[in-house]
Amino acid sequence: MATKTPKEVRDTENNSPAALLHQLVKATLGAKKDADISQHFQYAVRVVSSNFAPSIESDEFHVAERIKRKLAREGRESDAAYFSELHRKLQSQGKLQNRWAILYFLLSLADSNKETKQKPSSAVIFGRGLPNLATSTPFVPRNLHQTPVASEIGSYSHSGTQSSGIGSGISSISGPTPTPHSYAPGNLTTPGVTVAHDPQSVGSRLAQMLIGGSQSHVTNPNLASASRGQVSEVTKRNASALSPEENTSFELAEVAIVRDLVYVFQGIDGKLIKYSYNEDAYRMDSQVGVPRPVRDLVHKLAELGWLFCKVKKYVEKKSQDKSFGLVGQSFTAALQQELTEYYRLLAVLEAQQQETDDAIEETSTSALTLFQLSVWTFDPLHRMKQLAILVDGCKDKKGGALASAIHSYTLHGDRSVRALVSHILKLVAFPLWKMLDKWIYDGLLEDKYHEFFVAADPSVKEEKLWHEKYTLRKSMVPSFIKMDQARQILLIGKSINFLRQVCKDHTPIIGKGTEEVIEKHSKYENTEMFLDQDLDNTFQEVIDKAYQDTSRKLLDVLHQRFKFLDHLKAMRRYLLLGQGDFIKHLMDLLQSDLVKQAQVLYLHNLTGVLETAIRATNAQYDDSEILDRLDVRLLELSPGDTGWDVFSLDYHVDGPISTVFTPQCKILYLRVFNFLWRAKRMEYILTQVWKDQMCNARLLKDIPELSPLLHHMHTLASEMVHFIHQMQYYINFEVMECSYDELWKRVNKANDLDHIISAHEVFLDTILKRSLLDEESQPLLTQLRVIFDLIVQFEGMQEEFFKTSLEELERRKSAERAIEERTEMGKWGTTELEEKEKKRLHQEFQRNFIPSERAKLRVLSQTLQDMVQKFLVMLTAHSDDSLRLLAVRLDFNEVYKAREPKLRSPVAYMKRKKREY
Amino acid sequence: MGAESGQSKDPNLSLAEQREVMDTLQQISALLNTGLTPEMLSTIVQLCELGVNPEALASVIRELRSVAAALESPGG
Repeated sequence: MATKTPKEVRDTENNSPAALLHQLVKATLGAKKDADISQHFQYAVRVVSSNFAPSIESDEFHVAERIKRKLAREGRESDAAYFSELHRKLQSQGKLQNRWAILYFLLSLADSNKETKQKPSSAVIFGRGLPNLATSTPFVPRNLHQTPVASEIGSYSHSGTQSSGIGSGISSISGPTPTPHSYAPGNLTTPGVTVAHDPQSVGSRLAQMLIGGSQSHVTNPNLASASRGQVSEVTKRNASALSPEENTSFELAEVAIVRDLVYVFQGIDGKLIKYSYNEDAYRMDSQVGVPRPVRDLVHKLAELGWLFCKVKKYVEKKSQDKSFGLVGQSFTAALQQELTEYYRLLAVLEAQQQETDDAIEETSTSALTLFQLSVWTFDPLHRMKQLAILVDGCKDKKGGALASAIHSYTLHGDRSVRALVSHILKLVAFPLWKMLDKWIYDGLLEDKYHEFFVAADPSVKEEKLWHEKYTLRKSMVPSFIKMDQARQILLIGKSINFLRQVCKDHTPIIGKGTEEVIEKHSKYENTEMFLDQDLDNTFQEVIDKAYQDTSRKLLDVLHQRFKFLDHLKAMRRYLLLGQGDFIKHLMDLLQSDLVKQAQVLYLHNLTGVLETAIRATNAQYDDSEILDRLDVRLLELSPGDTGWDVFSLDYHVDGPISTVFTPQCKILYLRVFNFLWRAKRMEYILTQVWKDQMCNARLLKDIPELSPLLHHMHTLASEMVHFIHQMQYYINFEVMECSYDELWKRVNKANDLDHIISAHEVFLDTILKRSLLDEESQPLLTQLRVIFDLIVQFEGMQEEFFKTSLEELERRKSAERAIEERTEMGKWGTTELEEKEKKRLHQEFQRNFIPSERAKLRVLSQTLQDMVQKFLVMLTAHSDDSLRLLAVRLDFNEVYKAREPKLRSPVAYMKRKKREY
Repeated sequence: MGAESGQSKDPNLSLAEQREVMDTLQQISALLNTGLTPEMLSTIVQLCELGVNPEALASVIRELRSVAAALESPGG
């Protein structure tokens, strides 16, 4: 800076440095004789000239900052502001060249006035007051340092306010900072030290100071290791065993180590402590002379740097990653927040270390020691470790899975860790909460990155919206949301979408707006409700409320606008043959058409018949909307099918209703219809058979040889009627009516559409099972078909029989009439030839027709009995109770039981059968 | 940076301006509680402007003060 040599300075006249110095000495010592002064003057000149170059860098800003800091520390913020104003003024005046020198000088002399004996008391008071104020954080209770539990609570409550970051760690660190040394570094010039020295020692003291108190520090680790004698002994033993080439001499100053460590804490290699790839850790140069315990301590502390690097790398990597999603982003943001707190700690440490470096006068008392460092970083190290663990645990996860992973760490036993993790989780859960909010109130799925646990498939069309569009992403369900809740949430949003898209209903759903809910929502407006589920069930309540509102709305719309219940009734009435008169009439009308081959049936003809049937029966009073949906459908043809096999009624459904009556459901309905229709037809046929029997019985009395046959036919028909009646009864009352009643009850009680759907499915399932249409009953159904076929066969046979018999009757009657006519005309009633012919025909009838018919009948009845027996055996072995009961009903008088040994002990039989499997 | 320009009694530095600077410094000195009289301060400013090491200067002042105090106390 200054270019003049001391000699030149002395040479200049009046205001030469020498003269000035002389003046100064005189002024300082008060008005004394020159002789007294000269000694001091000599000393002053010596000191000034020998230390011409400043020992520290001249940085005006730095000095100004230090002054400000000093003032602020003393609680004189207003003075600090005033100082900066003065400083600015000084800068603007710009007349002084060496502002730094002046400021530095003033700073060095700061408060020295007080140490003079005029005001000793104020200095003491001030000195005591300082430690509390010498912190960057406003206020920290002092007892934090003494009781760890209290400090935990302190940091805990701290975390509640804004962030639970490392900052709380800092506050607890920087709070007690001054406590171990009664003087904060650079605060005060310690009075005792200065006053006690005589002029002789001052020179050496100055020299010491100017070299930079490093030498004095060297003793520190020495002392430290000595104080922990045991440890050092152990380490010595270890050291000799481990690495003989390691330099353990005491060459290095602690300050240097501390400075390096502060760098390492920031993830930067220091001069001595560098990152070692082999060990994946920060390691001290093995050639540097440092005692073993210190080295270990340094390595232990350096872990913080390693952890910091790890977390930081993760944050940097993930914040670049666009596909990481919102949850991920909030996770990195939370980590970043923690890192920021950590930076604050670093800033404090650095400032502390800087002051150590800057310290003008102080020596070992103010220096930042390794042990202090280890105490201060104890908490942050712990936190950082947790963060690193979190980062490790959440490496490849995103979205809900990430939240789950973090949530699993909240169960940590350590309260501080729990606080840290739950704070992070709170932030992480926030986007999830946002999505949830949108979903359960607006049905919107704002999830670009597939993080939410509800997934939508955009390719699914409206008709299948309910069943297929939205699914649960199981892996993304956060562990703090139960599976039931997740399903409920899925349902809520789905219902909203269903209302909007399928029902085209855009009226608002009452939910969020209601007053009492809002009160509770203070908590709702926060992700806490996710996490505090154990403590209060606000979350559950909120979901329940949304669920109730949405579902009720949906059901109302379904029932009122779409008349769901009417459609259900119509299904029962038409497809399940509930409307008896209509079905009977339809069958009457269709009879002639349906006996034809299936190929010659025309849909339009049948539709016309259907119209007629509707108009002629009570069905006409039904809602036209429902009747319009009723239609005829022909099933797929297979060769040899008659109209009876392919005819089916159909019911068209669309819109929201089709969500319940899905195409699959309709196929099931058609199958049931087919079965019922067949059974109905049997009934119909048998009625016909009975009618014929009744009509013809009287007529055929005249052919006495037919009576045993007629009787046989009669009993056979009765057997069939009994069978079919019991079947019909069973189907109509035990299957249809019971299941339908159950369905009706459940539909009316249903809370949401899913309940209705499931009730309906259960209904269909039951019907199918009991109507022998499921897999298990396949052989039973075949058996039943055979019986049905027998009935049809019987009808044909009987028809044939009656036709022939009536012809015979007619022939006989006409023959008799002819005889009578001739008798009246006075001729012979009959000729021999005619008589012969008559006899021949008679005999032929008796010999050919009757035995053949008898044989046919016998075969038929035998087959029927066999079939029914078989059917009964199968029934008793069936797993369904009601079917087993049907067996009892069919064989109520135990006719079949008497014939079939297997039926005699159904239970034993069943057991045997089971053993066979 | 020459010593000439560093002179506080630079001719182009008017008396008023000088006083202003000194005032400011005096205030700072008061803020920092240095206990320097205006005369001492002006001497020191001059010395500093001449390029004297402030560190050394400060230590000298401190030493002298302690000496003065030592001298006074037995007398008082």
